[in-house]
Amino acid sequence: MEVNTVLAHELKAPLATLRQLALAFPTSDDKKSNHLRAEMISVSERALKQVNDLAKLARLEDGLFEMEPIAIRALCDEIKREMDYLFSYHKRGLNLKYKNKSPLVTANRDLLSSIIYNFLVNAIRYSTEETKTILSISDSKNRIRVDIRDFGPALPTKIWRDLKSGNLVEPTSVSMRPDSTGLGLYIATKFSRYMNATVGATRHRDGTSFYIDLPISKQASLL
Amino acid sequence: MIFVIDDDEIMAECIASATNSETNIFSNAIDAINSIDETPPNLIFLDILLDGPDGFTFLNELASYPDLSKIPIVIISSLDLKKYNLNNYNIIKILDKSTMLPEDIERLANAYT
Repeated sequence: MEVNTVLAHELKAPLATLRQLALAFPTSDDKKSNHLRAEMISVSERALKQVNDLAKLARLEDGLFEMEPIAIRALCDEIKREMDYLFSYHKRGLNLKYKNKSPLVTANRDLLSSIIYNFLVNAIRYSTEETKTILSISDSKNRIRVDIRDFGPALPTKIWRDLKSGNLVEPTSVSMRPDSTGLGLYIATKFSRYMNATVGATRHRDGTSFYIDLPISKQASLL
Repeated sequence: MIFVIDDDEIMAECIASATNSETNIFSNAIDAINSIDETPPNLIFLDILLDGPDGFTFLNELASYPDLSKIPIVIISSLDLKKYNLNNYNIIKILDKSTMLPEDIERLANAYT
């Protein structure tokens, strides 16, 4: 087993145990206990996803991630169902807007899910309470765009330029978004390149849209 | 009787507790093999990366005996096992340690005990 895989396993094992311990902790009438339990589960799950992403990053060079036609709306529905609790827990909302005609994109399901998940977690962290993040899907030439619009601080110009020019080569701290190492964005960029997709961002005065443009599956044209 | 084989003591206890059934916990494959004739389990929850012989060694050992090869096994692991051929073993489910829920464990335990 290669070093990165062993390292990922070593990190995953205690996190998975912590999560199981929190899940085994019974819910009670005490709001504070329930809050702590939910936080432990949420934090350990987010950390597990990040370790999994790092492990996937190490495996990209091996080319082990198969590309397949993916029903993008169904995938986003699935992710929304999974994320709804986290959004409401943080007093935020998540709305879907579907405007595309082509149902299938070519991508790797795991990698694409990770990118969308990371953008949504980012939106939770940097949006303001009581706002609603918008996850939209739209057609763009031969591509389909999945766009996650949050309502928080705008993305700094430098990061936006690096993303636009494809020069985001390492995790970069996002100064206007404290606590961010930019790792999620870096991982998203790597994953998207593998899938012949493009990630980017649009700056708004009251927030940021992160998007991924995905190639439309040619299987769709055969239908 | 359910066997839980995992070298992570706390994880093993969490799994055993979630089964709501009588369990035997083992931290390594050798102890589990040595006890299997004495108290044959109805179901085994098996981790893959163990101290000493790993989960695959345990699976091969079980598969080499006609009676033991029929014991249903649930793999519990954080490893990506897609690239392994596990068709020769009586594996009824693979649970990812990162995402599995106590309800998943209880449901399987209820179905096989």
